[in-house]
Amino acid sequence: MRRHANANDPLWYKDAVIYELPVKSFCDGNGDGIGDFRGLIEKLDYLENLGVTCLWLLPFFPSPLKDDGYDIADYTNVHPSYGTLEDFTKFLHAAHERGLRVAVELVLNHTSDQHPWFQRARSAAPGSPERDYYVWSDTDQKYKDARVIFPDGEESNWTWDPVAGAHYWHRFFHHQPDLNYDNPAVVREMLRVLDFWLDLGVDGFRLDAVPYLVEREGTSCENLSETHAVIGTIRAHVDAAGPGRMLLADANQLPADVRAYFGEGDECHMAYHFPVMPRMFMALHLEDRDPVVEVMERTPSIPETCQWALFLRNHDELTLETVTADERDYMYLAYSADQQGRLNAGIRRRLAPLVRNNRRRIELLNAILFSLPGTPVIYYGDEIGMGDNVYLGDRNGVRTPMHWNGDRNGGFSRADPPRLYSPVIMDAVYGYQAVNVEAQESDGASLLHWMRNMIRLRGLFRVFGRGSVEFLRPANRKVLAYVRSLEDDVVLCVANLSRTAQPAELDLTSFAGATPVEMLGYTEFPPITAAPYFLTLGPYGFYWFELQR
Amino acid sequence: MDSTGSNSSAEPARAARADIVVGLTSYNDARTIGAVVRAVEGGLSRYFESSAARIVLADARSADGTREAARAASSGALIEVDYPSPKAFAAVSYHGYPGRPAALRAILEAAQRLGARGCAVLDTALVSVTPEWIERLIGPVLTGGFDYVSPYFARRVNEGAITKGIVYPMFRALYGARLRQPAAAEFGCSARLVAHHLDQDFWDLEQAETGIDLWLAVAAACGEFRICEASLGARATSRDTPSDLSTTLAQVVGALFADVEHRVEIWQRTRKSIPVPVAGAVPEIAPAPVNVEGLIEAFRLGYRELRDIWTWVLPPRTIIELGRLVEMPPDRLRFDDRLWANIIYDFALGYSLRVLPQEHLLRSLTPLYSGWLASFVGQVDGAGLGEIEQRVEELCLGFEAEKRYLIARWRWPERLR
Repeated sequence: MRRHANANDPLWYKDAVIYELPVKSFCDGNGDGIGDFRGLIEKLDYLENLGVTCLWLLPFFPSPLKDDGYDIADYTNVHPSYGTLEDFTKFLHAAHERGLRVAVELVLNHTSDQHPWFQRARSAAPGSPERDYYVWSDTDQKYKDARVIFPDGEESNWTWDPVAGAHYWHRFFHHQPDLNYDNPAVVREMLRVLDFWLDLGVDGFRLDAVPYLVEREGTSCENLSETHAVIGTIRAHVDAAGPGRMLLADANQLPADVRAYFGEGDECHMAYHFPVMPRMFMALHLEDRDPVVEVMERTPSIPETCQWALFLRNHDELTLETVTADERDYMYLAYSADQQGRLNAGIRRRLAPLVRNNRRRIELLNAILFSLPGTPVIYYGDEIGMGDNVYLGDRNGVRTPMHWNGDRNGGFSRADPPRLYSPVIMDAVYGYQAVNVEAQESDGASLLHWMRNMIRLRGLFRVFGRGSVEFLRPANRKVLAYVRSLEDDVVLCVANLSRTAQPAELDLTSFAGATPVEMLGYTEFPPITAAPYFLTLGPYGFYWFELQR
Repeated sequence: MDSTGSNSSAEPARAARADIVVGLTSYNDARTIGAVVRAVEGGLSRYFESSAARIVLADARSADGTREAARAASSGALIEVDYPSPKAFAAVSYHGYPGRPAALRAILEAAQRLGARGCAVLDTALVSVTPEWIERLIGPVLTGGFDYVSPYFARRVNEGAITKGIVYPMFRALYGARLRQPAAAEFGCSARLVAHHLDQDFWDLEQAETGIDLWLAVAAACGEFRICEASLGARATSRDTPSDLSTTLAQVVGALFADVEHRVEIWQRTRKSIPVPVAGAVPEIAPAPVNVEGLIEAFRLGYRELRDIWTWVLPPRTIIELGRLVEMPPDRLRFDDRLWANIIYDFALGYSLRVLPQEHLLRSLTPLYSGWLASFVGQVDGAGLGEIEQRVEELCLGFEAEKRYLIARWRWPERLR
């Protein structure tokens, strides 16, 4: 038996560091070229040592894999490529042994067109309970106010099904028909799915594509009150199963709309803060704090038991759906002048290539990620600065095999390279021979060690996950400064967004008498007085100070 | 006092309530337990005559008639509690008492069920218990408003040296309470602290087998509890220490380091230590000569054989300083307090980072400890208790001064290899 912090804290997710990983990409345990749960179990020590506290697994369920597993054909099993249900339970037990919580995907909005529910529905009589599991229409003219989310791949939200003799509704790809949440039987089915994974001991669920559950004529079919009612039902069901389970909303919306997914603390425990992500990159490139400060100050307050999930990169493109057209153009020019990197309304790149492999920029962005209010989510491989391959199509370029060492296939698999589900990154800068875990383990100055230290340091201060935030406004807009506070803990964060050294003159008069202690080195700085507090920051430099009294 | 003689753990629930519970932990102590029981009963009747009291015996399945000896000695207030058998562990614990966490938990649970306002715990291998011990351990709780009473035993220079040189200075620097013997097997506590202890998450950990006494003291020091020490004179026991120095060091220091790793949020926010009051006068004890030649040879041998391992956790500057010490003539061997504090702190960090298997790392500390002990003895050889305490006080101040070093290294570890 081991001893773990927060073991019995129902609000554990507020202090968590989440690590997002696709099972297929992490480690291949059986040598077939595809990552699996056996391989993942082998790497749990690595994850524990990294300091992350929660693993978010991308879909691993039986699926035709036309949308990387988000097209689910069986909600209560494991795709044979990744192992068995028994393998999953072994993994879950091994993760819990290490104090790692596990969150899985709950794709509520749609299934695969191969799901038995859909196969049954298309053959069932119109109006029958089986048919009503999905949304059908004789015309493709209903719900015209709903946008097409993947304009690069779909022209309409309706697709004709010759078997059913009707159109079916899909907000994503045409092979992903939307479930009909006006049908109570569908809600009951999804609650059974929840129970299945809860009974196994899963700690949380990421509710995929959650704004689109219900459709109503004359609306955008997003964020409807009926959708919130479904989420409320799910939350009540999860709460009834016992404390300590978390729901994370995937709602790519503006903060004001996302706020509703917390309800009054009775819907989701967490939700992604999508808009702050592109604005961190924008602020870095503009060398101006305003994009971050502005979006954070527009962020509504949330219930005490709720939490934002913050991220720099994930398995999708760097979405620009929540920025203005001008901002989107700026981001394309700044971060993806090459058209090949663009997809839908976003940029399909990993963190390191986005910032041109500049170590200081990577560190600065992570320092901001770790210190803004919320729970950070790290995308697998970004802790070692992995690269991507924009020529692999769709978003596959950021879902390549993890680099464990410089051996064949980057240590990901013993299979012959052509058998891999995806080629490994092999270019001269980001190739697995240069960027891999083993090499960085042996290099005390590596990004991996830096990330590990930062995660460990962040974990010592609950103020980062639970504290309030107040932005300062030094005259120099290249400097981003904010104060995090929780009870007696006060932390001052200062970041230089510029590639050159910058001065900062901070108004800290409300903390006069306190001594800033730089947190990484535990070094005392001169005490704060009523006078402006001067700091100098190196290029892309940052400070975290404890204000001690 | 009522007689129960029960061997049922459920018995306390049916027993009358008690103001005081004295818990006894025993293991093959038939030769000594009778005297301990009589001393306890003597103390209870002499100092707490008007209070209802029970003696709770938690015996680790002795095979020598310990229980029978206890019953024979008792005038009737004895309750026997059973508790789950200890698991088989790889190493014998330094205190020689198998299943000690379960025994202590059973005693505290019994105290809670009986509604005791104060509880004391004693080891029945002791041959130095007097009735006054009961008053010293229970009195501050019942009449002084204290929650935790830690024993303060008079010890010669080389007695309890792991505590003097490592546990006490580090405990004090990190947790802020100047408890000189925080890993002692005896203690007194209030009902409030009993409840707090029973609520801790460490009881079932494998390392609790060797660390439970220290962890209970840490839990008291880290909570909002009033703490004091009770001078109990010398501590003499009939139980042979079953383990060698290296094993004892690894177990005691390992338990300390494990707790340090778990309570980072607390000790990194604790900025000063606070003295605790001592109940009773501390007797002087006659100094005894100590032969340090073996210690110095162990240190030198360790430097030759283990220096490479040490470089995983000790920075080059420390290795260089150790090299200089190895070359010193025995009468001039002196470990600077700063150096010793930094060594212990670096080992604590290495333990947390798991740069080496933890057991190996802890055992590699043994020669360094031998060197430090030789240095310590060389400075206070022949000195009285007061002078020894003064030297330990200086060492503690060194640990407190170097705490910043530990925090800095902990927050941003430097990979040495």
